[in-house]
Amino acid sequence: MAELSDKDVIKKIRNGEIDQYSCIVKKYTTSMYRYIERRLFKKEETDDLVQNVFISFYKAIEKFDEEKPVKPYLFQIVQNELKMYYRSKKPTTSLHDDIYLEDGRLQDITDNDYLSHLNQVERNIFQYISNGYSYEEIAKLIKKPVNTIKSIVRRGRIKIKKTY
Amino acid sequence: MKKLEDRIIKKIYRIETEKTIGQIISEVILIILIFLSSIFVFSVIVEILNEQASFDLFDFLRDDFETIRINFLNNSLLFIQELPLPLIYILIGLSLLLIWLLYILIKNSNKVKNKLISLYKFWFK
Repeated sequence: MAELSDKDVIKKIRNGEIDQYSCIVKKYTTSMYRYIERRLFKKEETDDLVQNVFISFYKAIEKFDEEKPVKPYLFQIVQNELKMYYRSKKPTTSLHDDIYLEDGRLQDITDNDYLSHLNQVERNIFQYISNGYSYEEIAKLIKKPVNTIKSIVRRGRIKIKKTY
Repeated sequence: MKKLEDRIIKKIYRIETEKTIGQIISEVILIILIFLSSIFVFSVIVEILNEQASFDLFDFLRDDFETIRINFLNNSLLFIQELPLPLIYILIGLSLLLIWLLYILIKNSNKVKNKLISLYKFWFK
């Protein structure tokens, strides 16, 4: 049986003959795989990315202009997938569970190691915050303006972030 | 590579199965709901017209041709005036929606049929 062109295959897929998609998969998997593998060097992740590329193409097939060649379109999807992959692998600073922020206040600072990097005033304020005091209440307790408290907390957070 | 191709194809079929079945079920449910609503609205209209005795306006149809000719236009206009218009508009809207949904269903029937054949071949053969 003569091999169908990509255009015919896409027409058939659009007409519901989804088994024809295997033609596209078989035709382009190797080239996609090699291209991605040269950039990632990890078999498992390469497999996943190739799979994502073909799934994305399948989802976009209704909108795809059948007059245009398939391969450049697939490579465009590969580029996007790689971008997303690199973005997801970008190193991020994770905060300790005990000091995550909620409602604009620091909560549950139980580990004194964190506080050891702060000066006495900052440490006191962080202790108050961990005990559930609001900025206004702390401001009254240590007789300083609310904005000063906020600045101290901000500086303290930056110090902790830098340390960990 | 063959293993990866099979994995991709299987994933595609899984996505398509979910999509197609979901689409068929939602369309059928929507059509049934609109159909039942149309019947309900229609029966309410008939009930209202019965209570108003509006159908009596067409009693003249049992008379001779001359009487029909004289009364037809007047009585028809009177009957139209007695119709509960908001309900009629709802009925027309529902009917148009039903026709549109049926048109889409018929238009896509070939595509859906091909999809179902492909899915059947893949999962059961």
